[in-house]
Amino acid sequence: MYFSLPISEINLTVIKELEQKFVSDLVENQNIIHKVCRIYTNNQDAHNDLFQEISIQLWKAYPKFRGEAKFSTWMYRVALNTAITLYRKSKRRIKTQDFDNVLYKIESTEYDDTEEEQLKIIYKAIHHLSDIEKALVFLYLEDKNYREIAQTMGISEVNARVKMSRIKNKLKKIANP
Amino acid sequence: MDQLEILKKDWDKQENTFQKFSQKDLSTIIHKRSSSIVKWIFIISLLEFALPLVLLLFTDIEKVSKERYDQLGLSNFRIISYSIYYVVILYFVFRFYKNYKSISAYSNPKTLLKNILNTRKIVKYYIWFNLAITPIITGVILYKTLNSPLFADKLSHTNNIIIVLLSFVLMAIMLALIWLFYRLLYGILLNKLKHNYNELISNDDC
Repeated sequence: MYFSLPISEINLTVIKELEQKFVSDLVENQNIIHKVCRIYTNNQDAHNDLFQEISIQLWKAYPKFRGEAKFSTWMYRVALNTAITLYRKSKRRIKTQDFDNVLYKIESTEYDDTEEEQLKIIYKAIHHLSDIEKALVFLYLEDKNYREIAQTMGISEVNARVKMSRIKNKLKKIANP
Repeated sequence: MDQLEILKKDWDKQENTFQKFSQKDLSTIIHKRSSSIVKWIFIISLLEFALPLVLLLFTDIEKVSKERYDQLGLSNFRIISYSIYYVVILYFVFRFYKNYKSISAYSNPKTLLKNILNTRKIVKYYIWFNLAITPIITGVILYKTLNSPLFADKLSHTNNIIIVLLSFVLMAIMLALIWLFYRLLYGILLNKLKHNYNELISNDDC
């Protein structure tokens, strides 16, 4: 995962150049990571923790990235892999208020149909999904078609469709009990 | 209206709410310490590989030296069993290394999860192998010891067998405890991964 080149001045320069290129690509595309964090976390601390871990994993995996695909496409995989598999949530994360587990009822004091309120409810519903479901939701929101979603996740297209329709039903139930 | 469709409309608009990291910020971030689970899995796996070997070295030197084996008429047994043991260990180490190398954050989630779980499986089999082989070897040595001139006049043949069986049972209990400990360890390490993997491949036909 790390460079196994002998340390010499020439190689250090190469690494420095590589890092610069990587960081500038990362700066340009950082919103992708932010969007992943928005789906997977529900507070700023956890968001930043996950952002950090994804960035580290991207840098570690970068030497193997030979530019066969777009940088952003490659980022999707590594970011989702980190969220689903590699990342160990830090314990200091404060648990936000929990909803009624049995019925998923969302209580609101008054019905507010401003868009912001709606979005908040939808995000809260999304945060109830599993890691795998969140990944699918993310790819869907990124306007990927089912073939691309299936390819990115490594599953069949049929499986992706089945899962997505289940997710949509689940979200509907959570948001409108 | 479909929840996701609502969110999709505003999905890209939220970019304004995100913190914008600079080159400098990111250069610092990527060099921070990773909290990846793969690192821990690797470290724990290495310890698990080393432990039986360390124990073997320890008990071997102290308790049963080459002379003892020869005294008991087990010199051939010793050579053969140690050879087999080391060959098998090398095989496990090789398999583990190959699997570990295939773990890549660049693969798709299904492959990544599968590779991590397979890597742990190898360590599990390695431990099982060590747990299985210990009573066998110990049993043989014990049996031979009790049958040797040292004990021949002191214990009857049936008593020998009883002693061997008893120590077998005791050892089985001890090993069962170790096995329970490993179930716990695996549970902690791999629960989330196994759960995610099973969820991912459910309904899969490829």
